[in-house]
Amino acid sequence: MTASLRDSITTGDAPARPPAPALKRRWLDFGQHLDWRRRVLLGLTGWLLFVFGWYLAAHAGLASERLFPGPVAVMRALTDLFVEQGFLGDVLSSIRRILISFSLAVAIALPLGLLMGAFARIDGLLNPLLGAFRYLPAPAFIPLLLMWLGTGDSQKIALLLIGVVFFLAIMLADVTRQVPAAFIETAKTLGGGRRVVLWTVVFRHSLPGYLDTCRQMLAVSWTYLVIAEIVAATDGIGAMMMRAKRFVHVDDIMAGIVTIGLLGLAFDALFRLVYRWRFPYLRGEHQR
Amino acid sequence: MHNGSGLIIENAGKTFRAGGRDPRVALEGVSLHLPPGRVGVLLGPSGCGKSTLLRMVAGLEEPTTGALSLNGRPVTGPGRDRGMVFQSYTSFPWLTVRQNVAYGLKITGDSSSLREGAVEHFIQAVRLEDVADAYPHELSGGMRQRVAIARTLANHPELLLMDEPFGALDPETRWQMQELLLGIVRKERTTVLLVSHDIEEALYLGDVVFFLSSHPGRLREVIRPDFKKEVPAGDREALLDHPQYRRLDMHIRRLMSEEGTTRASPVAEAADRG
Repeated sequence: MTASLRDSITTGDAPARPPAPALKRRWLDFGQHLDWRRRVLLGLTGWLLFVFGWYLAAHAGLASERLFPGPVAVMRALTDLFVEQGFLGDVLSSIRRILISFSLAVAIALPLGLLMGAFARIDGLLNPLLGAFRYLPAPAFIPLLLMWLGTGDSQKIALLLIGVVFFLAIMLADVTRQVPAAFIETAKTLGGGRRVVLWTVVFRHSLPGYLDTCRQMLAVSWTYLVIAEIVAATDGIGAMMMRAKRFVHVDDIMAGIVTIGLLGLAFDALFRLVYRWRFPYLRGEHQR
Repeated sequence: MHNGSGLIIENAGKTFRAGGRDPRVALEGVSLHLPPGRVGVLLGPSGCGKSTLLRMVAGLEEPTTGALSLNGRPVTGPGRDRGMVFQSYTSFPWLTVRQNVAYGLKITGDSSSLREGAVEHFIQAVRLEDVADAYPHELSGGMRQRVAIARTLANHPELLLMDEPFGALDPETRWQMQELLLGIVRKERTTVLLVSHDIEEALYLGDVVFFLSSHPGRLREVIRPDFKKEVPAGDREALLDHPQYRRLDMHIRRLMSEEGTTRASPVAEAADRG
């Protein structure tokens, strides 16, 4: 190996050995796997391209800077919001609403999803009902909720709950149904009763899928948050954006959108972290 | 340990009625007896209902007619006394090998077996000591099947049920697994009922082979390869070389091909008419 290397260096004019035929590599191909470094690099590239495009569009003179501020102005507005206008309080209120409503949604949907996925009779009873409720647009409940619950926090949390809970129950039931029948039958022939099989096999097998479903539905929750906070709210990210609209502070509105995006990204990362930490046996099988 | 009666199947039949369609008779009038400590093999062509019969013994499938009992107790549902190993890999992916093997003892609250080292004993018996703390996805197919066997045996079943347990493995691994299983079963004096469609596997493992015919599944012949007493236990080459083995092998092949022609007959008739 080293000898041949030296040869090729010292006798530069010697005819080169034909190179070993290598597989043709393409930048885009099916079934590629990326290490985390490449992943981060590509992710950052996507972001940089977006910000750069935004910058160009904002400074091309298509619209006034007031109506379409560039990234720099929005970043300045964001700092200003946090430093001088107590935006942190708004952000924390929004996070609190999300966490309370989503915890309630999981507390209701998880038992329903588990039982529906495990037992056909319970599925037969509830699936048509929840399936219908799923199609009702949550914002349609706003007038009702305003009358029942007033304009306070409970109305907003109820809206977020309604927006998520029916989808969540049906999706969790779908996850539950993925348990291989042979796993359940194995546990039965090892002496497991219904309750034991439900917890040690059905629930346990579904856990990673449950977490993944929750991650996706949390994103939907953020969508409803803005709707909830636009109606009769005094604090929260959405309320700040509505206030800013009144004074045509477009940079503040955009700062609010950026904040929601960043929070969504942070929660997503948190879920992924929990996934990797709690389910080491799935490493390499699920690259999401 | 056993009260001497073993597995008794009397006149078992199964008819599947799928909504609207004609009922399909999978099994009809099957009666057989498997004494304790013996390895019984259910052998037959595909569609002979051998897996259905095994699932009935496990209590996972309800017989339409007839009755089954193990050591005097009627089969009324799945239970710890009849542990089953499936063809698909059923070691739980979220548990390590050791946790998998301990699973049955944990859920049945058998703390005395846990204390007496049943888990380690059977991990050693299937030679998985080196990977006891690995997760199943790190193991090969043969190793995963060994986990399933150890898990079932650690639970001290009175009858070990196996549904083509080595069907998904390559031939080399399958032979090793058969030898491993035979060694453990002889040592532990386990009663085994195993489903197979492989003649060599049936004759190598079985003390008694129940040959089932298809459409509907009936018990056609009970084959006792008693000549195996003349060859050293587990010696595959000596077994395959034995004249009696070759005679039985030919006999079963003939049974198999007869089943094949009876099944093909509707097609042949259609061809004649056309």
